Amino acid sequence: MSGSDPVAAFRVEAFELLDQIENDLLDLGQDLGNRALVDAVFRGLHTLKGSGSMFGFDALASFTHHCETAFDRVRKGQARATAALVGVILSARDQMRALLDETIAPDEAAQAAILAALQAAVADDGAATTAPAADAANVIEDATRLTFRLAPSAMANGNNPLNLLGELRELGATKVCADLSRLPPLDQLVPGECHIGWTMLLPASVTRDDIEDVFMFVMDDMELTLEELEPASAASEIIAVAETGTAAPSQARTPSAPAAESVRVPAERLDELMNRVGELVIAQSRLAQIAAQGGTINEIALRAVSEDIERLSSELRDTTMVLRMMQVGGLFGRFRRLVHDLAQETGKSIEFSTEGETTEVDKTVIERLADPMVHLIRNSCDHGLETAEQRIANGKAGTGQIMITATQTGGEVIITVADDGRGINRDAVRAKAEAQGLIAPDAVLADQDVLQLIFHPGFSTAAQVTNLSGRGVGMDVVKKTIEGLRGTIRMTSVEGQGTRIMLHLPLTLAIVECMLVRVGSGCYAIPLSAVEECLELPASEAAGGKSRSFLDVRGELIPFLRMREAFATDWPAELHQKIVIVGAGDTRVGLVIDQIIGNAQTVIKPLSRFHAGLGTFSGATILGDGTVALILDVGNLLASAQRQSATRAVGEAA
Amino acid sequence: MNATSFRTAKAIEGRMLTFDIGSEAFAIRADCVREILEVPHVTHVPGAPAFVNALINVRGTVAPLTDLRIAFSLDSAKHNEDTRVIVIEELIHETRETIAILADKVNDVCELDGGQVEQAPAIGTRWRPELIEGIGRKGDRFVIVPDIARIMGEYVS
Amino acid sequence: MTASILAVDDSPSLRMAVRIALSGAGYSVTEAGDGVEGLSKSNAAAFDMIVTDLNMPNMDGLTMIREIRRSSSNASVPIVFLTTESDDGIKQQAKAAGATGWLVKPFEPDQLVRVARKVLGR
Repeated sequence: MSGSDPVAAFRVEAFELLDQIENDLLDLGQDLGNRALVDAVFRGLHTLKGSGSMFGFDALASFTHHCETAFDRVRKGQARATAALVGVILSARDQMRALLDETIAPDEAAQAAILAALQAAVADDGAATTAPAADAANVIEDATRLTFRLAPSAMANGNNPLNLLGELRELGATKVCADLSRLPPLDQLVPGECHIGWTMLLPASVTRDDIEDVFMFVMDDMELTLEELEPASAASEIIAVAETGTAAPSQARTPSAPAAESVRVPAERLDELMNRVGELVIAQSRLAQIAAQGGTINEIALRAVSEDIERLSSELRDTTMVLRMMQVGGLFGRFRRLVHDLAQETGKSIEFSTEGETTEVDKTVIERLADPMVHLIRNSCDHGLETAEQRIANGKAGTGQIMITATQTGGEVIITVADDGRGINRDAVRAKAEAQGLIAPDAVLADQDVLQLIFHPGFSTAAQVTNLSGRGVGMDVVKKTIEGLRGTIRMTSVEGQGTRIMLHLPLTLAIVECMLVRVGSGCYAIPLSAVEECLELPASEAAGGKSRSFLDVRGELIPFLRMREAFATDWPAELHQKIVIVGAGDTRVGLVIDQIIGNAQTVIKPLSRFHAGLGTFSGATILGDGTVALILDVGNLLASAQRQSATRAVGEAA
Repeated sequence: MNATSFRTAKAIEGRMLTFDIGSEAFAIRADCVREILEVPHVTHVPGAPAFVNALINVRGTVAPLTDLRIAFSLDSAKHNEDTRVIVIEELIHETRETIAILADKVNDVCELDGGQVEQAPAIGTRWRPELIEGIGRKGDRFVIVPDIARIMGEYVS
Repeated sequence: MTASILAVDDSPSLRMAVRIALSGAGYSVTEAGDGVEGLSKSNAAAFDMIVTDLNMPNMDGLTMIREIRRSSSNASVPIVFLTTESDDGIKQQAKAAGATGWLVKPFEPDQLVRVARKVLGR
């Protein structure tokens, strides 16, 4: 998180605030009489307005101000919270979100419509008129006599008369006299109260504004008179209270610059990080000391430092990784609104619940998880859940349930999207797959394989096309995204009872356990999660050439790729080449390599744009000896193996 | 402006790092140079264009290693004790990239004679003129100022 | 010695703005995220000034000001509250609670520094 850019910080905060407002509104929609929620929404709007105006989001501040004003009527009991009002403020919230994004032109018509609807929703015109600030900058003629006396409570409120006198002196006050006439006898004196008054002369150049500035915080309760000495025209007057707050011009900001990505980190995690760094610095100085000793190195001391540094670097790595972790609660919160809107669109009654919001996942995973989850939830709302009538006819509760949960087990997080709808009709899936030529009519498939057909590209089970389904992304895209996150999808479904889709995801994308292999002279890394087994390449296949590229592994034919050919290496081949079988889901491919070097924890470095387009590699990593190793993109290799076996099949058929 | 020249001269501000590739001298702006390294372990990237088919580790950053020989069709030479890697930072299509450039020999940081370069002639050189910002002089040698962003930009996806 | 100021606001960006403005002027700034935290920090250490928002979760600014005035450690510390112009009558309430002064949002960093100089006298 950038520690010095309040505008960026505000934007992050405002998005969170809007999410909170949305959540509170959705809760309020369920419980219209809840005062605490009304207050919470009001407070959220108020903060958004105040901070927005601070950081130059004037359009946002002004729009939010109107919403706040309207909502204030509800808070004060002058209007009732209704479903309509909640709906209008929800759409107002969306406008506010748009106003935070400078790349979107403000939709003034929409804003006006929302404000009009809002006015209607709170029954009558609640236009607040603000009194114009008094503007009295006229210069006081000639010298002025100022007489003032603070309220007795002024000092208890933290005001210091000496500071005020100091400011008046700076204005050029002369002939300052204390008026002790109201000093009580000693036995009645309250030490914290101010009993002294003052008179003084101020130069002609001092304006009323100057004097108001001095007394701005004490003006209301004090006695203050100003006498213009020459010409002695007007009688003493008391300066009217005026607000001096002027609208601050917004701080300079560059609308076109894309907002820098930032992560909010709890302070204690940063402290932990700082502690480790502190220890590292100490270890480093011990190391420097040993190095500076000269002569024979104290081997024991050196080893001790080395062990310390090893421990610290692994702790530092873990602590740093944790900085990227975010709770899934924020992501889950977004789906409440989605379900709310979907329920209205479909006319179904849907109850949405979440569990495990505090489960933490890498920020990147969370960001990329949003779209697939939206699709899964849409599917559940649209296809999974029945209408209330159908449910009741089937002996179920009229309200359908959608539940998302997150749990962490070992190195992975499991996110589940479950509904208690009609479940997946295997016969319909089969029929569809057959019609699309995905499977042979008489193919014998295990139940799990039937379910997996849903993830086949282009497959759609929707018997009727509604405006919710088929918006571009299919389940195949969901699967691809999850696999891109090095995750897997599992699914269970009981007809008539519901469907449960489980996304198994790695905790972090930044570190991955890899198997290191050698192909020719190069060392490559294969994510260990994809490695299924390692075999020796049978001598019959070692020659390479035009022989079929399928391997019989316990009766299953697995295509294999000769990595030496793929990487066009002319380095002499190892006598006993190995096959590493990698897989994802039910696709598998064997990679023929020269040598297995071992396993290593690797930190993934993205490839530059020079190499990102190659597709063969998903990144690079730096090995223990400082050299760079490329990480194989298993998903891509699997796809190319599939293409290979497809063409091979065509070739064999011909 | 050089009165004897028919071609347009262009001022090149600031100091330049000069280096040799084959028999040609090149110069790039010194302020984009991050460091100059002896050739570290080089990782070959199978399938990548010859111009940028390797990676090196520059203090924990994986940087692509580029070979201007390919862009300027120069003969390739074996690495020897003078071979260096020049690490630069350059805006390529609006994003800053750390890129390593292979050089047969790094000479020095200096200003080009007259602080200017001339536009490369469209005819008479075997190089594509758009890859060259200009040709300057240093003493008795011609010095090519390559348009790094342009050259690199052709290889970025 | 630099004056130490406690900034209480539930909005991290506003706290950041306050911190940047005041630490830029040479004051040392401690932050608190709501009234409860503000109160406990003001009880734990003496401050030369407190800047607080009024609208906060857990404990609002008015309650916090009253509590601080009732406490012993910072009973007469200057307390400046941040408000928006639409806060009708809020100033009276805040002053009754014991606030010293106020600043209207939005404000410029300079305005905050001027107010700090004013109530601190330095």
